[in-house]
Amino acid sequence: MQKFEYANATTIQQAVALLGNTWGEAEVLAGGTDLLALMKDYVVAPKRLVNIKDIKELKGITMTANGLRLGSLVTFEEVLDNAAIKRSYPAIWQAVAGVTSPQIRNMGTVGGDLCQRPRCWYYRAGYGILAKDENGKALVPDGDNRYHAILGNEGEAKYVNPSSLAPALISLMAKIKVAGPKGSREIAADQFFVTPKSDNEREYALAPNEIVTDILIPSASGVKTATYEVRQREVLDWPLATASVALKLDGKTVKSAKIALGHVAPVPVDSDAAAKALVGKAVTEDTAEAAGAAAVANARALSRNAYKIQLAKVAVKRAILQAAG
Amino acid sequence: MKINVTINGQAHEADVEPRLLLVHLIRDVVGLTGTHVGCETSICGACTVHLNGRAVKSCTVLAVQANGAEVTTIEGLANNGQLHAVQEGFWECHGLQCGYCTPGMIMASCALLKDNPNPSEGEIRHGLEGNLCRCTGYQNIVESVKYAANKLQGA
Amino acid sequence: MSTNQTQIVGQSIQRKEGRDKVTGAMRYVDDLLFPEMWFGATVRSPIARGRIRSIEFTGNLPWHEFTIVTAKDISGQNCTALILDDQPCLADKFVNHAEEPVVLLAHPDKYLLEEARRAVKIDIEPLPALFTMDDALNQTEIIWGDDNVFKTFLVEKGNVDDVWASADFIVEGEYETGAQEQLYIEPNGMIAMANADDGVTVWGSLQCPYYVHKALLKLFGLPPDKVRVIQAATGGGFGGKEEYPSMIAGHAALLAWKAGKPVKLIYDRAEDMAATTKRHPSRTRHRTAVNKDGKLLAMDIEFVIDGGAYATLSSVVLSRGTIHAAGPYACDNVRVRSKAVATNHPPHGAFRGFGAPQSIFALERHLNKVAATVGLRPEELRRRNFLHEGQTTATGQVIREKLDLDGLLTRALELSDYHAKKERFAEHNATNATQKKGIGFATFLHGAGFTGSGERFLESVVGIEATATGNVCILVASTEIGQGTNTILSQIAAEALRLDYEMIELAQPDTANVPNSGPTVASRTCMIVGKLVESAALGLKQTLVQSGLLTDDYSLDEWRQACAIYIAEHGALKSFSKYEAPPNIFWNDETYQGDAYGAYAWAVYVAEVTVNLVTYETRVDDFVALQEVGKVINPVLAAGQIEGGVAQAIGYALYENVVWDNGTMRNNQMTNYIMPTSEDLPPIRVFFEENPYTYGPSGAKGIGELPMDGPAPAILNAIESAIGVRVNCIPLLPETLMKVMNA
Repeated sequence: MQKFEYANATTIQQAVALLGNTWGEAEVLAGGTDLLALMKDYVVAPKRLVNIKDIKELKGITMTANGLRLGSLVTFEEVLDNAAIKRSYPAIWQAVAGVTSPQIRNMGTVGGDLCQRPRCWYYRAGYGILAKDENGKALVPDGDNRYHAILGNEGEAKYVNPSSLAPALISLMAKIKVAGPKGSREIAADQFFVTPKSDNEREYALAPNEIVTDILIPSASGVKTATYEVRQREVLDWPLATASVALKLDGKTVKSAKIALGHVAPVPVDSDAAAKALVGKAVTEDTAEAAGAAAVANARALSRNAYKIQLAKVAVKRAILQAAG
Repeated sequence: MKINVTINGQAHEADVEPRLLLVHLIRDVVGLTGTHVGCETSICGACTVHLNGRAVKSCTVLAVQANGAEVTTIEGLANNGQLHAVQEGFWECHGLQCGYCTPGMIMASCALLKDNPNPSEGEIRHGLEGNLCRCTGYQNIVESVKYAANKLQGA
Repeated sequence: MSTNQTQIVGQSIQRKEGRDKVTGAMRYVDDLLFPEMWFGATVRSPIARGRIRSIEFTGNLPWHEFTIVTAKDISGQNCTALILDDQPCLADKFVNHAEEPVVLLAHPDKYLLEEARRAVKIDIEPLPALFTMDDALNQTEIIWGDDNVFKTFLVEKGNVDDVWASADFIVEGEYETGAQEQLYIEPNGMIAMANADDGVTVWGSLQCPYYVHKALLKLFGLPPDKVRVIQAATGGGFGGKEEYPSMIAGHAALLAWKAGKPVKLIYDRAEDMAATTKRHPSRTRHRTAVNKDGKLLAMDIEFVIDGGAYATLSSVVLSRGTIHAAGPYACDNVRVRSKAVATNHPPHGAFRGFGAPQSIFALERHLNKVAATVGLRPEELRRRNFLHEGQTTATGQVIREKLDLDGLLTRALELSDYHAKKERFAEHNATNATQKKGIGFATFLHGAGFTGSGERFLESVVGIEATATGNVCILVASTEIGQGTNTILSQIAAEALRLDYEMIELAQPDTANVPNSGPTVASRTCMIVGKLVESAALGLKQTLVQSGLLTDDYSLDEWRQACAIYIAEHGALKSFSKYEAPPNIFWNDETYQGDAYGAYAWAVYVAEVTVNLVTYETRVDDFVALQEVGKVINPVLAAGQIEGGVAQAIGYALYENVVWDNGTMRNNQMTNYIMPTSEDLPPIRVFFEENPYTYGPSGAKGIGELPMDGPAPAILNAIESAIGVRVNCIPLLPETLMKVMNA
C-alpha cells in the first residue's frame, strides 16, 4: 500500500474541504472494505485518505410517514437489524441481506455500497476502469468477459455496477443527497450512476470533493417491493444479476411498476420495458416471465456471458413474483 | 499517528503509519499472532477479530480506524487458561484440521452465538458464511458450534 | 487414564496440537520472528513465453539498499531439483510461463519492498506460446524437449484389438477435467538464514522437508549437513506444499545468503494463486467393448494431462492417473496410453488424488454410458464387472485381500436410500418443469503409498526415542498439515507400547533431527509411516525386554522404571525402523505391470442433486461416502478427512474454475475463485467398513486422497439422472450446463 496522509473529519464541511478537485488525489474512507483492498493492490493510490466515520450527521436511520432516511454511514447490519425496514421496504432489506458475511455487514456502509468500485478483474489487475492494455487495446471483448455487461455495453465500459442497493433505490425512486463545498444537492437514484468515458472519471455523479450524506427513500406505503439476486454460490461472491421491483396494485392488476436491474450493465438499469410489460396486467408466472423477457430484449452478450441474459431475466421474474407475494 | 487501542482488555498506545492494517497492528506491533492473514481481500475470514464487540475482518480495517476501540482476538477468549466454550467445542468435536482458519472461525462463531444463542444447523452454516475452511468440509465446525451453544446455555 | 490396557487405536481422541490451534498459540511461518530479519519479494514474468531482453530497476527508489538476486547469483545448479531438474530456480534468458520468477528482492521495509517489486520492469521479447493439450500434441511449437511430451506410459493387459470385432457394443466417450487450486488457507512462505559458515537453514510451510533439503543441496552445491530444513506449523497443503516450497526455500535462501540477514518470504494470496501449482487439467478418451450381458470385454483408454511449462511431478501424477484409469473392475483386455504434455501454463503439480480424480472421473462417467448402451442399470453393470479376490487389475496385480465390492455397493445404495429416491425423483421430475432431482454414484479405489517401486526406493526410516520419565518422542519427517499426523502416529505408538496417549509426542520435523520417513504425500503417512512407527515402538520395547528390564506384561510404572534404568546405563533409548516391502510384492517399471500399490482403499459414493433449469445451478442435497479403509485409527478424525476431501471434490465438480487468459490466471483471488462455503455444502455422511490390512498399523490403509476421487463423477451421474443430459466436463458451471442444454 502506498503512503498516504490520514485525515479525520468530524463535520461534513471538514470532509469536503479535505477532498481535492481531482479524482484520485484523495479518497473517502467509511467502512473501507473495498477501498483498502484496492489500495493494497495499488489500483487506487490516494495521497490522502479522509475518514468520515466520525461525522455524526452521516449516521442514523429515520423512518417517518414520508419515507425513510439512511445516513450514508449506516452499516448493512444496522439495516438488517431494523424490523421496520424489513416490513416496509423489503426490497431494501433483501438487497442488504444479500451482502455477504456478518463481518462485511458490520463494517460496510450504505454510502460505501453506492461508491464501491467495479469487480471487473481487468480493473482490479490494474488495467483501468475501461480495461485497456498499455497499447490502448480493449481487453474485455476478446478476453474473459463471463462476468461483464450484457446491457449498455456498446461503449468502452464493459464492467458491471457492483452496488447491492442501487436497483432497490431506483425501483423506489430514492434520492441520494450529497454534499460539497457549496452545500448539498439531491440526485435521483437513477441519475446517480454514470458511465465514465475515461479512466479519470468515476462511475457515479459526484464531484471529486463531494460525499454522499443521505439516502432518502419516499414512503413505500401501498407499494409492494422485492429484490432478488442470482449468484453462483450461496454466499460470498457478488451476484451475477439482481432485480428490484416496486409495484402498485389495483386489486390484482398492476397499476404502476418500477423495475431495476443490477450487475448487468455499467450502471444499474431502470427497465421501462419490463415495467410496461407488466402494467395493466395481473401478476402471474406468465406476465412476470414476459416482463423478464422485456427487460433483456435489448441485451447483447459478449463472447462468454450469454448465460447472464437468462439469469437477468430470471431475476426480474422472481423479484416480481416475490413482490406480489 | 498516535492511536490508543484496547486489545484483550489491555490498553496499547502506538505510533503507527496510517497505512498499517489492524491485523498488522495486532500481529506485528502487539505480537499476538493468533490472528491470521489468509486472503487480504476480506473473503476468507482468517483475520476475524471483534471490534467493539462486532466481528470484522481485520485485513481490511486500518489500525487508525480502531483508534479508541476495544479489540478482542483469539488470545483474549480463554480465561486464565480455561478455554472458552467455543474453543473447547472446536477441539472436542474436531472442528479444525490445519488450524489456520480456526481463530477466525472461532471469533465468528462467538459473534454468531452472541446474537443467536441457540442456532439451527442452517443458521450456523449461514452465520459462518464469511469464513472459509478448506480442510473440514465444515461438518465438524457445525458440530463444534452446536457443542458450544449447548454448553453456554447449560452454564 | 492410568490404565495401560485401554485401546487407543480406534478412538476419537482429541487432536494432539488442538489446544494450540484453538488458542492462537500455534506458530505458523509468518508468526516467526528473527532479529534483523528482512523481507523478500519475487519479481515474475508478465507473459507466458519469451526471451528476456533486459531487466530495469525504475522509479525513484533507493535501489542500493536492496538485496537483488538474479540467476547469476546462484552458486550451484540453477534448478528446483525434483525429478528432472528442468525447472530453473530463477529464469535466465528465457521465460516459459507467466509468473515465472526472474528477480528476487529483499529489504527491511515491507512497504518499500512492494513498491520496488512493482518498479522492476522485465522486458521480454514474446515467443509463441502453447495453451492447449492439442496444440502441444500437434507440436504447433516445440516448447519442451523434442516433442512437448514429459512422459508416456503404456499399460497393456491382454489385447484390446482382438476384441472389437466380437463385441456386442462398442462405446466411446471423451471426458475433461479442469485445473483446480489447492487453496490451503495459509499461503506459502519461508524464512531462511544462510551464509558460508553455517550453510543454509530454512523454516517454512511445507509437506516434505527432505524434498526441500534435496533442492537446496543442488542450488547451493553444499554437503547435506550444511542444509537444514524445519517445518513450521503448516496451514493446509493438499499437495500444494509438496514441491513448490522447494522453490520458495531456494529464493529465501538466495536472498538471505546475499543479504547476510534472515529473510522472510511470504506469498500473498494473489501471488500464491497465480504462481504456484494447480491440479493437472486432463482429457480422457474411452473406447469400450462390452457384450450384451454387460461384461466388459476391452477397455482402451487414452489419458492426457497438461503438465504446464516444466516437468516437475507430472510423470508421477500421470502414473497414478494411468494406473487408476481402469478402476476397480476386472477386464481381460485393457490398454491405457497416457501422456503428460508441456504447455506454457505455470507447472501443474501435486494435489490430493494426484491424477486419480481425473481418470476416475472419466471412467465412472463412461460406465454409466456403457450401462445405458447395454440397457442395464448403472449399478448392475458395475456388479457384473467388479474385481474379486484372485482377479487381476489392469496392471496384472492379483487381489489377495478379501474384497466385497458388491456388498459395499449394496450398503451405499441402502444408506443413501438410492432406489426409493430414484423412484420418487422420477415422479417429482415428471411434474416439475424447473427443479429436477437426481441421484448418482461412483465406485472407485485409491492405492495407498508411492506407486510401484516408489516405496522401495524411498527407504523410509522412522525413529522413536524414550526419555528417562518414560515419555516417548516419535522422530519422523512426516508433517502435520491438518490431516492428523501427530494424533494418529501418537495413537499408533501408544497402542503398540500400551502407554497413555499423553505420554507420546512428536519431534518437530527438522532434517537435523529426524530421519527421512519420506514425503507427506500419497496417503502414505498412516499406512507406511504408521507401520514403521509401530515397529520402531515395538523395537523400543524389545530393547527393554532383552535387557531384562521389562517383561512382556508391564504396568506404566514398570515401563517408566525400565526406561529410567536403561537411559541411566546407556545414555539414550532409541529405536529405528526402516521400510521393507511386504513379501510377494512385485513391480516392473519397464512394462508397468505388477503390484502397483501395497493396498487399496475401496469406496462407493452417492450424491443427490437438484438442478435448477431456470438458472442452471446445481445443488448437492445429500452425500453418502462409504469406504473400506482397513482399520480406522481415529474415527472422527478419519471422517473429517473424508468430509474435507468430499468438500474439495464438490468444489472441483461444480464451482472451482481456473480462468486462464493467455496463460495467466485471471481469477487469482478468493473473491472470484469460488470455493464452497459452509452454506454451499450438504451434510456429508461418512461411513467406514473395516477389513484390516496385514501390513498396515493395526490394519490401517491410507485414506487422505480417496475422497477426492469419487464425488465429481457421482455428482455428474446424479445430474444426468436428473436431466437426462450427459455432461462430461468439470467444473460444470451453470453457464456450461445452459450451453449444453440449449445446444
